[in-house]
Amino acid sequence: MSEKTVSLFIQCLVDTMFPETGEAMITVFDRLGVAYDYPPGQTCCGQPAFNSGYSRDAAAAAKHFIDIFEDTEIIVCPSGSCVRMVRHHYPELFADDQAMHSRALAIGAKTFEFTQYLVDELGINDVGAHFPDTVTYHDSCHLSRSLGIADQPRTLLNNVRGLELIEMRDSDTCCGFGGTFSVNYPEISVAMVDEKIDNILATKASTVTGCDISCLMNILGRIKRRGEDVQVLHIAQILAADKGEKR
Amino acid sequence: MHNQTTFLSAIRTALGETPNIERSKSTFPKLFAAPDTAETLKKIRSRTVTERNELVKILLHNGNTLNISSHIVESLPEAADLVVELIRSTEPEFNYTKHVIMHDHPDIAALELWKRFNREAVTLHTTFSRDRQITDKTIASFIGITAPTIGVADSATVIQLTEPGRPRSTSLLPSLHIALLRRENIVADLAEAYALLRQKSHLDSFVFISGPSKTADIEAHMVYGAHGPRELHLIVLAEPELEK
Amino acid sequence: MSAKPQSQYCRDAQKGMGSPRLQASLHSLQNRFGKGAMTLWAEMDDQDMRRRVKQSRMKNLDHLDILLAELAKKVRARGGHVHFAENAQDAIDYTLEVARKNEVKRVVKGKSMLSMEIAIDSALQEAGMEVVETDLGEYIIQLADDKPSHIIAPCIHMDRSRIGELFTEKLGINYTDDPPSLTAAARKALREKLLSADMGLTGCNLACAATGHISLVSNEGNIRMATTMPPVHVALMGMERIVATLDEHRETVQLLTRGAALQKLSTYVSFVGGPSTSDDPDGPKEFHLVIIDNGRSKILADPEFREVLACIRCGACLNICPVYGRIGGHAYNSPYCGPIGAVITPLLDGINKHADLCKGETLCGACKDICPVQIDLPRMLAGLRQKLAYGSDRWNTKQHNPLEAYAFTLWRQVVSWSPLYRTGLKIARLCQRPFVGKNSMIKRMAGLASGWTDGRDLPPIAKKTFTEIWQKKHATAEVKLPMATKEDNNA
Repeated sequence: MSEKTVSLFIQCLVDTMFPETGEAMITVFDRLGVAYDYPPGQTCCGQPAFNSGYSRDAAAAAKHFIDIFEDTEIIVCPSGSCVRMVRHHYPELFADDQAMHSRALAIGAKTFEFTQYLVDELGINDVGAHFPDTVTYHDSCHLSRSLGIADQPRTLLNNVRGLELIEMRDSDTCCGFGGTFSVNYPEISVAMVDEKIDNILATKASTVTGCDISCLMNILGRIKRRGEDVQVLHIAQILAADKGEKR
Repeated sequence: MHNQTTFLSAIRTALGETPNIERSKSTFPKLFAAPDTAETLKKIRSRTVTERNELVKILLHNGNTLNISSHIVESLPEAADLVVELIRSTEPEFNYTKHVIMHDHPDIAALELWKRFNREAVTLHTTFSRDRQITDKTIASFIGITAPTIGVADSATVIQLTEPGRPRSTSLLPSLHIALLRRENIVADLAEAYALLRQKSHLDSFVFISGPSKTADIEAHMVYGAHGPRELHLIVLAEPELEK
Repeated sequence: MSAKPQSQYCRDAQKGMGSPRLQASLHSLQNRFGKGAMTLWAEMDDQDMRRRVKQSRMKNLDHLDILLAELAKKVRARGGHVHFAENAQDAIDYTLEVARKNEVKRVVKGKSMLSMEIAIDSALQEAGMEVVETDLGEYIIQLADDKPSHIIAPCIHMDRSRIGELFTEKLGINYTDDPPSLTAAARKALREKLLSADMGLTGCNLACAATGHISLVSNEGNIRMATTMPPVHVALMGMERIVATLDEHRETVQLLTRGAALQKLSTYVSFVGGPSTSDDPDGPKEFHLVIIDNGRSKILADPEFREVLACIRCGACLNICPVYGRIGGHAYNSPYCGPIGAVITPLLDGINKHADLCKGETLCGACKDICPVQIDLPRMLAGLRQKLAYGSDRWNTKQHNPLEAYAFTLWRQVVSWSPLYRTGLKIARLCQRPFVGKNSMIKRMAGLASGWTDGRDLPPIAKKTFTEIWQKKHATAEVKLPMATKEDNNA
């Protein structure tokens, strides 16, 4: 087990709309005996601005992030796309500023997605969770395509007692969120998430999960609007569950 | 040439080079450097009959998935029998008379097809160089016979070079294309085929053919015979006397 | 839905999404070719090939002037003509001149996106010539006076009954919706055109500088016909479509046909190096190669976008893109659709003009994964959005949406100073109250945000944010020590 203290990098959407995901992460760390802290003053990694082309504004957010997290040992975040932002795009944002560029690379090197940290860094395949339910897993694009994280969450889910993982068709096809895309092109975005939801429903699983709350928020929002009976949970919530309680 | 000068200057500007100074290829020897093919050529030449027969098998297998009708024969008369049967059993598509066009090639001449059709209404044409009526004869023909230079097992391809007496349209305009290929001319893959092509001192136009003409433009429904031949018959000539 | 004024892109996208025929076709296309290509790449023996070809593509771009000069020299040595055209008009003028000299009345075309890019058909028609597309899909599109909606399968949006009606009307055949019968009818009609045409007009998939050839791929044989039967052949070539050596050609062409249709090779790969020789009575008497810039050197000059010129136009990215898979090709309003179109169209034809193409993707990255030459299209889409965000002199681009830009300036202030950020959240939490519906979700929002709530619910800001929960629990401790001891971990 790592002696390092994990600094929680809580994605803005988790902080503001899905705090239970952050709490679930803490529950898992407590169970595993991982020390953690929560650097105060964190806001947003800058991804919304970056994806919309506002790289200079994103760089301001990046600078704020680096200032806050610079002195940490390990940074763990319950969102693949935010990790990708820090790891891959922060260095790009400071391509012309050698000092900031080095700082960005250093931050990126110690930033991990939650399941990746558990499996690849801590070597944990079983977090001791109990979740007696059928679950299907959505591969978020930036998580699977950019960070190559697809096996880690499945390994963890497969070791949850009582859990039956049912793969959906095209699990790695985009859910249609795409940040401001979902607001700028709602018809296309909804058509995409509808197909995702149809694939989820076809598994007859009672819960859909994933490692990125942005995608899950999109799926949840459409599921609620359609009135479908499927529970949407971040993977941390499943890994935090024990004694067979249903959340 | 004026156009070329300004055009290439614009490219040099875009690349951050001096616009008006022509860059010579001799300054960039690596640019046109090609891997040495001596080993490949040696490998092709030194194949045993067993190895060549293996390539025939692969070619036929891969050709099958591309809808190529393939046949193995041991002699030219046997090949001729096949060709005669195809000519007899096929109805012309674009007119009412049976014309056959053939490349000017020793293997095709050796089929002696004219001996087989002295009592039938079948007209045979050979694409002799400088015959100005070749195009008309080809348009009239429902079967075209060629003897490709190279066969490629891996992609089920025949490679046809345009040479005097071997025009392009023979394998294109008729409804059926019959390709007569010697086992010795079959190579394993495109790497070997390109190595052989690089050997040619003079390459004019040439074509790779991997199956009959096809289209899937209407509702992804595969149809053979879009513009070119609707059937490709590949006859592999594997003469037993070559066994050692 | 919303009453917002919609762009052409959105209207065409909705039209595509509303067509059951198109949806079914796109679905099966992506299922077969998109997934097929990903499997092909994964199972390919030579796992380094794509990287190698990409590297050679980039190297060749760096030496493009040398390669083009060599190609021109070799083609001219065989008696072919080479013309370098700076822009569309130049290419059109040259081709018209060739046509006039040869008294061309009928032109047969091999499928060429570049011919659409420079809009040469209408110029030839205005000069009194008949122009006939010979690729079956393009022919159908031409008869219907429609536009192609896929790089490789142009009439993917049309069903067989529509094509049957079209052929009945235009070719005078008895109605049938049987694809083989329809193909046979087109075969007959086009054979007549191909055998009587005065000029063949094609594109160029890949030229080889060392040997001085252009090469063209097709499955139907129409391109071989168009380059063999008419006395004049004019080939239009985008200046970047060149490799240095035959060995590079071998690898590149195989990635092209695999990416396009999972084929080891297309049925025909024709190499043309010049006009036919005196010994060789068929084949064109004149061969003209028109090498076209038309905005490409501007892309070449910008290191940020040079990579897009490595594209080999296989169309694989269309076969996986989840946005293209919903909206189809017409919304892109360009000869180049799908992800590659979304990058190349704005660069060739104006970033502001095609802002929707720059912004209308999720940046999911599937196009990069499937690209045979691993082009990072998402990176360049983000780059295009940057030009829209701040404007760009180099690309003659104006700031696209000053209001949005202002909003992000504010956002920047807020996220850079957490007290302001936290206060903002508290205010938003108060403001959202009236909108929270029965299922504890927000059902309706105004303005831009309605884009979300038109089709989806939105979770409200939580009663306590994670930060607030943390502060309450751990007000004093800096580091939270684990509750369990390390020995209990392997539960």
